[in-house]
Parts: sequence; C-alpha cells; structure tokens
Amino acid sequence: MKKNIIIITFILFTSAVVFTGCKKDKDNGPAERSISFHLHTVVGNTVANYTSVFTDATGRSFTLSDCRYYISNIVFIKDDGTELPMTGKVLLANPATMKYEIGNVPVGKYKGFRFIVGLDSVTNHSDPATYPSSSPLSYQNPSMHWGWNSGYIFMILEGKVDSTAAANGTPDYDFFYHIGLDQLKRTIDFSTTAFEVKSYEDMELGIVFDIRKVLNGVNIPQEYFTHTMDNMPVAVKIANNWPIAFEAE
Amino acid sequence: MNRKITGILAIVLFVVISSSLITSCRKDDAIDTGNEVLTLEVPTGFPYPNIPDDNQPTKNRIALGKKLFFDPILSRDSTISCGSCHHADKKMTDGLPVSQGIDGRHVLRNAMTVLNTAYQPNMFWDGGSPTLEQQVVAPIESHEEMDFNVLKVVERLKNHPEYPELFLKAYNLDPSPYTLTRAIANFERTLFTGKTKFDQYQYDKDTNALSASEKRGMELFFGERGECFHCHGGFNFTDFSFKNNGLYEVYADSGRARITTLHSDVGKFKVPSLRNVELTAPYMHDGSMATLEEVVDHYSSGGKPHFNKSFLIQPLNLTQQEKTDLINFMKALTDL
Repeated sequence: MKKNIIIITFILFTSAVVFTGCKKDKDNGPAERSISFHLHTVVGNTVANYTSVFTDATGRSFTLSDCRYYISNIVFIKDDGTELPMTGKVLLANPATMKYEIGNVPVGKYKGFRFIVGLDSVTNHSDPATYPSSSPLSYQNPSMHWGWNSGYIFMILEGKVDSTAAANGTPDYDFFYHIGLDQLKRTIDFSTTAFEVKSYEDMELGIVFDIRKVLNGVNIPQEYFTHTMDNMPVAVKIANNWPIAFEAE
Repeated sequence: MNRKITGILAIVLFVVISSSLITSCRKDDAIDTGNEVLTLEVPTGFPYPNIPDDNQPTKNRIALGKKLFFDPILSRDSTISCGSCHHADKKMTDGLPVSQGIDGRHVLRNAMTVLNTAYQPNMFWDGGSPTLEQQVVAPIESHEEMDFNVLKVVERLKNHPEYPELFLKAYNLDPSPYTLTRAIANFERTLFTGKTKFDQYQYDKDTNALSASEKRGMELFFGERGECFHCHGGFNFTDFSFKNNGLYEVYADSGRARITTLHSDVGKFKVPSLRNVELTAPYMHDGSMATLEEVVDHYSSGGKPHFNKSFLIQPLNLTQQEKTDLINFMKALTDL
C-alpha cells in the first residue's frame, strides 16, 4: 500500500514537471505584445506645437493654439486576413503626445491596419458624463463635445493666421475649425502597410499626420471658421483632407 | 396582590419599551426617506413621465438639483445661474426676446420654460440635445451663456464647503459631470404645471370653469377652422414636433437644420407648449412677437411663404371677435 502511494506520488510529480516543462519548451516568449501608435502630428517637417509660426501650402503663415482629434475603430489585419478590431479603444491625439497605447495583439505577421478619424455614430451620440474621467470620451477642457447637439467634435484646430492680402504679415487673425457629425468621420486605410509583432518586444507603428495637408485648399483668412453645421463646405473640405494627411513612417 | 402588581408592572414596562422602540424606529425612518425613490405627483390627465433608471427622484437628489439650479457657481464669473433665465415668477422663462448670458451677451434664442420638461423627447428649440441630463452642460459651456467648462464647475463643487456632502448623500458619489448633470435633471423633472381653468373644465368636468368667450375660443382652437390643436394638442398643448410656421421668408436661424443639416428642416422649430402662454411673452424662437394679439394675427394671416412651411399654416381670416375668443381661451391655460 505504502509502495503504491509512493509510486502514484512519483508519477504525479514527474508528469507535473513534464507538463510544465512542455509549456516552457513551446514558448519562446509571450503570445501577445502591446501595440501602440507612435503618432507625429506635424506641419510639414516640423512637429506641431503651440509656439512656432508655420506656413500653409500657399506660404501663408499661421500659428496653432489647439489641435486635438479622435482616432477610433482601430482594426489590425493579420496575415491570413483575419481582422482584429480593437473594440472600444478611442484615442484623443494632440501634438505633444507621441505614443498611444492601443492594447495587446497576438505575436505574428500583419498585412496592415486601419482606423477612423472621428467616432462611430453610437459612440458619437453617447453621454460623455457616463465615462470615467480617465476616458478620452469623458468631458474635456477645452470641450471636445458640443452641448448644443449630441455629438463629439472629431477635430479641433484653432490658431491665428496672417490675414494680409499679400500673405506677407504675421498671424493676427483667429481661425477655428470644429469638425464633427457622423457623416464626416473618415477611414484611414493602411491595409497594405505590413508589419510584424515580435515576441521579444512591444510594437510601435509610426504614423505622421500633417496639418499642412489637412488645410489643403482652405483659404484660412477667408474660410476662417466652422462649427461644422454652420459652415459645412469648410468642414467637408477639412474632413476630406484627413485621409491624405496621414502617412505611415 | 403582589402578583397582580408585578403583572401590571410587567405590562406597563412592555408598553413603555415597545412604544419607545416604535418611536425610535419611526425616527430612523424619518432620517432615511431622503434616499427613498419617490413617485412624482403629476397633474390630473397627465401620463407618468419616463425617468432614467439611474436617476430616479429622491428628496436628496431633488434638493441638490434645486440648489445647483439656482447657484451662479455654474457660470464662469459666478454671475448667472439656470434660474437667471428660468424665473419661477415668469413660469420658468425670462420675459426677454432672447436670453442674456454673462457680460450681457445675447443668447441665440428665447428661453423655453422648464415646466413639464419631463415630457420633452429632446431639448432646445432645435431638439439638439437628446436628454435632460446631457442638456445641462450646454448652457454651462455655451460662449453666450455661462461661458465655462463642466470640469471647472466640478472642481469648484469639490472645493465647496457644502456640496461634496450633498452629492454623497444624494448619489453616494463625489461631484462629477455625471452627478452634476443627473442632479439638475432630477430637479427639473419635478417641475409640473397643469392646474388651469381649462383643466378644471376638461378633467374635473366643471362646465362652468370656462366663460362663453373662452369656450368659443376653445372650439376654434380644437376645430378644423383654427386647427391649432394639430400641433398644440395633447395634455401639454404640444405634439413635440418641429414645424416651420411661416415666420420668415429667409431664416437667420436655420432651426432644426442646424442639427440635421437637412434642407427640409430649415426654419423648423420645436412646437412649444401653450400652458401659461399668457405669462411667457415674448413669443417665437427669437422672441420677435411681444403679444398674443400679434401671434394670433400672424396665424390668421397664414404667415409668410417658405418652402418648409407647414401645410397647416393657412390664412384663417379670423374676425376680431374670434381673435378675442382665441386669446381668452389661451389665457385659460394659465395656472390657477
């Protein structure tokens, strides 16, 4: 009897060791790694900030005082075509922050990714007061939500622009662009920007967003404002520029 | 004898102890009712309003919301409160064509009443805000109104000597955008109006409640000649729809279209309740009509042409007597 117990104990012990050992043999590291966007908000070749004087595509100078935008509905596309939606993940981007953690994804090869600038309509019409204060969807200061309608502002772009006809002065005239509305969200497609998540390091995807391109075709002193609904042409022009303003690094 | 005395003593003791127990129980109850979910008293003939599960009315919540509603702490320079544009003595309106924010800034539109707001399916003249809770932040952050930020209001409330405790009592939470918006909405939902001469006639079946002129006005109002009831019908004298009533040929304020961006919504505004209309001048979304006489003249004329004008707005060619009767009926919608 005693012998039996010893044998059984021995078997259990060794098998436990074997199983544990097996696991160790199979894994060369964790199966998932953290993935982030390394996002540079720039004006041409300069990282955007609230002190420099920049020029638009026509050479007219301007400054920025607020530049924030929502990125959401991020989807990673695995090598086999499987899509990995990062449900619920919303980023509120600004020029001073470069790294935006998105979550964990399986190690392996990826065909690409995509995301939207703005929010899907369900999120867009949710109540900001119901989110914890750490969420980018909670109330912000300055606000990223329109109280007078039920939507978020997808992008705020504010600053001063040189209003001289010859564009040879200094930025002196306020401009403000508040872009929102369900139909103005835009998909940014990087579905052919392949990358690999390696087991031994976290992944950072380099992306550049160029405000000069966002303002392409916008005559800032003439078209100096939009709260979207009160100046749809300017809002649409800016939203349509979002996809071309993004580039993978 | 001894035994009897003991028995009586025992009974007396029992009564004293039990009554003291009951009294103390009662005292506890009295303290606890602050967080008891209340059933609101709605006027006769009114349905019970829909109230969100997370914001059911309690004494503590209503009291907190009321204090916040009348507290200028919500505005950037602490000069105006919700009550600045929604006066109790003007049936929760302000008597101005368009309201005034801080520094005398002009608000876009005329202040709507907060009475019976529990029944509104959406807020504002253009229906832009979907709930009473979300509506709270709009005037706080509007440049023309309180010109502040809700997070800054919350900061002030957290540093206030009384508010943190009141929020804890009401919601078991600290001041936050969530609790702030819940509390004010909770109070606003308790503001009902519905006891007028018309209600006495209609719901209390008192046929003498209305005069002959008021009754003639009522017939015009609810008849196919006046057709007022198509939009201003139901217990709150509104169908809560958005209508273009032919006020202008070109609208400076696009109304409902500001929210929907639809051409077919240009110049449409929420049909307002007519309860207490006698006391809530001036009229229309921009307060452009000072008297009920002007309003009735407008509808009698059929208004101005507009591609979105409601087909119900047609020339009525009312006689002077009919106009007087109609106005008398509208005045019978004033709270007693």
